[in-house]
Amino acid sequence: MRRRQEQQQQQQRGRVLSAAVGALCRALPPRARPAPDTLRRARFDRPQASLDFWRLLYALLKQIHRGKWTESDDTDNQIRFVKSALWYYGYGRPELYQLPSDGSAGSRELLLAFSWLLHRISLLEQLLARNRVKTGDETSVCTCEDDLLNSQKSTTEIAPEYELEDRVDVRYLQWLNGRLRFQWQSLHAQHQEQCKLLHKIHLFTSGSHMDQILGHFSVTETDLVRQPENYKQLLQLLESETMQLEAFLEWKQLEPVYWQWMETVLDNMAEEGNMCESQDAHEEKSGLPKVTSSCPWADSLTGQIDRLSRDLMTLRDQLQKLVTQRKAAWCEKVKTREEELQKEGFSATARKIQESVELKLLDLTYLCAPKKNKMHGSCRLVFRSKHPGSKMGFHRSLSKEPVSAVSATEVIRELQMREASLERELKQLQEECRQRLDEIAEGLDGVICVSP
Amino acid sequence: MSIVTVQLGQCGNQIGHEVFSAICSDVRGTHGLCSKKENESYHDACKERFFSEEESEVPVARAVLVDMEPKVISQTLSIAARSGYWKYDDRSHFCQKQGSGNNWANGYSVHGPRYKEVIMNLVQGEAEKCDRLGGFFTMMSMAGGTGSGLGAFVTQCLRDAFPTSFILNHVIWPYGTGEVIVQNYNSVLTLSHLYRSSDALLIHENDVIHKICAQLMNIKQISFRDVNQVIAHQLGSVFQPTYTAESGLHYSRNPLGDLMETLVPHPEFKMLGLRNIPQMPENSLAYSVFSWPGLIKHLRQMLIANAKMEEGIDWQVKPPRLGSSVPSSHSTNKPLHFNTSIANLVILRGKDTHSVDLGSFRDPSLYTSWLKPQDAFNAWKTPRAFNKYEKSASLVSNSQFLLKPLDDVVGKAWNMFASKAYIHQYTKFGIEEEDFLDSFTALEQVISSYTTL
Repeated sequence: MRRRQEQQQQQQRGRVLSAAVGALCRALPPRARPAPDTLRRARFDRPQASLDFWRLLYALLKQIHRGKWTESDDTDNQIRFVKSALWYYGYGRPELYQLPSDGSAGSRELLLAFSWLLHRISLLEQLLARNRVKTGDETSVCTCEDDLLNSQKSTTEIAPEYELEDRVDVRYLQWLNGRLRFQWQSLHAQHQEQCKLLHKIHLFTSGSHMDQILGHFSVTETDLVRQPENYKQLLQLLESETMQLEAFLEWKQLEPVYWQWMETVLDNMAEEGNMCESQDAHEEKSGLPKVTSSCPWADSLTGQIDRLSRDLMTLRDQLQKLVTQRKAAWCEKVKTREEELQKEGFSATARKIQESVELKLLDLTYLCAPKKNKMHGSCRLVFRSKHPGSKMGFHRSLSKEPVSAVSATEVIRELQMREASLERELKQLQEECRQRLDEIAEGLDGVICVSP
Repeated sequence: MSIVTVQLGQCGNQIGHEVFSAICSDVRGTHGLCSKKENESYHDACKERFFSEEESEVPVARAVLVDMEPKVISQTLSIAARSGYWKYDDRSHFCQKQGSGNNWANGYSVHGPRYKEVIMNLVQGEAEKCDRLGGFFTMMSMAGGTGSGLGAFVTQCLRDAFPTSFILNHVIWPYGTGEVIVQNYNSVLTLSHLYRSSDALLIHENDVIHKICAQLMNIKQISFRDVNQVIAHQLGSVFQPTYTAESGLHYSRNPLGDLMETLVPHPEFKMLGLRNIPQMPENSLAYSVFSWPGLIKHLRQMLIANAKMEEGIDWQVKPPRLGSSVPSSHSTNKPLHFNTSIANLVILRGKDTHSVDLGSFRDPSLYTSWLKPQDAFNAWKTPRAFNKYEKSASLVSNSQFLLKPLDDVVGKAWNMFASKAYIHQYTKFGIEEEDFLDSFTALEQVISSYTTL
């Protein structure tokens, strides 16, 4: 009796599990959708599933990093890419990095890595957000101080070869600089055009949209009005997205079963004598740095971290020196002041000193105030004619938060402040350069330096 | 991608009108020699560039007309409207009653600041009408007072108001034996000021065009209208739509940007010369046959020998031998009359442009040592014929074309300045001797840069 109950329970669990896995697979984007069987085979560490799994991880990670989609990348490169990306995200299981690069084994490790990614970087949510049907009204906002993850290394023109000459004519560099500037100006003009046309679309279709809050058509919708034959393609895309979203909802309901299943996988592996998952990947550095060669964004990040730590150390030393100097000077001042104060009235001067110190502290606290939340990401532009300033809506499709809006005037103001501070910095640097040039010019005989 | 034209002074307005006229008649003509679809794309691209769609039936030119005298502007407006094929916007002009008296300082220091707001409002209006502002094209002459002085001031204002836009100045170089005594002063002041604010200076010399009219066009009594029409034809052959990349699928939408990028990225070298081939009276066109190899050969020799037109070319001038000299910044090995180029742009229009061999223009010996032909040379093409010429080729060149004229003008101006002749006319309006000196210094620098190619 109990055995039958157990059997029934097990069958029930099995059904729920296959529903969960099925939902998971359906929620993945069409170009990187595995068969549920692949996951099952991987659980039993079948070698045939390994290659498929490498390819799956490659496809998914490439989509997140918006890299160039090269299916022709051979297995070796694909595996190297996946290993680099996992290392970048902090995956610490050494067994994965030791897997052979022909993709012949290790499907269970890959299953673990896949599940880890699902949880760690919200893989599904990211993919769903990236693959939304475009409205055409998107724009990107970035008020970050530094552009970290967005630096894409696209192929640049190869500069012409200069045969073994170490020196390049400075006029050629000026030429290239000028070309760059003109290209930037053309890009700027194109951007302005896009904004203008978008504004026209929004203005002319105001009041036509079913959605009262939105009020106007998007670019995709307007295009559909002009070319109705394209509706089939758009419909297909929308249907595919809807299906993915429904699968995602289903997955969310059944998720716990999946994680229980993964726990059993881990238990099995622990029994087989593998080391437990280590959170800290820093010890295993021997094989890992090589792996980052195909991970260009990670390189820049580590470089920045190194620079930052070095700068911090030098700054700290400088600060210490300054502080000791200031302290010494201050003690001197205090001594002389003490003598003067003995003669004059004390309370008036004390009040003045207190006021000036308070002012200075206010300045400092303002400078050290924690920065506001920096905006980063893509938004949809929404036209609001009642408030001429507010023009943006920030859509988070998958979370349950209400639609949060950021007004364009706010963003503009922040960017203007940033521009002003950058200009001040530029002027300062130019002054320094000018002074240096003047110093050099004074050393030269018979030369008049006309600074720009 | 729309270009806003600013016509300044008597010369600028007359030439501007001829340019729009030439462009319009080219587009309307049925001598395109290409497919209907091609013709339509050409037509659309041209319209977007130069004309705006408004409620009126005829296209309206994207232009602002400025002059200190009312006569030329009213003539220009009425002739354009009478043609029935295009017109100017009735509100886009500004004129006064007083004139500038050929005094650069009057135009720059008096009229400029006084009427800055009105003029810039007109320009802003035209700029806002454009979906995409492709830049500004100003037309002026150097010798007079309005075009030169006010023109220099307006260019500066344009640069301040539109820091990221392209600005191309079309400048008329006066006759060597011109009527205006102080034309060299005006020229020096104009050029030095334009060099600061503008991206490129496209120059037409009156003497050269006059010779073209006399020898090539066989015109007996050459009027200003004839000269202007030749200039308009040459400008049209540069600014009408073309394909810029080899595999371009549509007409370039960024003519000024493309031009700047190929020719004037270097801030010291901004002077552009223009040559066009063939050039002949309209009634001879039907009896003439052209071949691309012949046209290209002539054009190349015109470049090398600094010839102004396709007759009277000095075929003895040859490029220097490469390989025997070590590349250096001093062109001691170049033959004296050889015209060294920094960058060249060839524009081909008409039949069989795809099969034209331009290898002779990619010869490294034509160019300065610090720029390779793949950077320095570009070609734009279109199968659509221009202005009834079955085949035509234009050359826009950033080279030593204008070195000698510039040297002459600066030399003459300096001689006058040394004896302080007529200076009081300028100081009266606020242009001091120091400003003159600054201008001379700037132009000497330009001359030196071009000489040591």
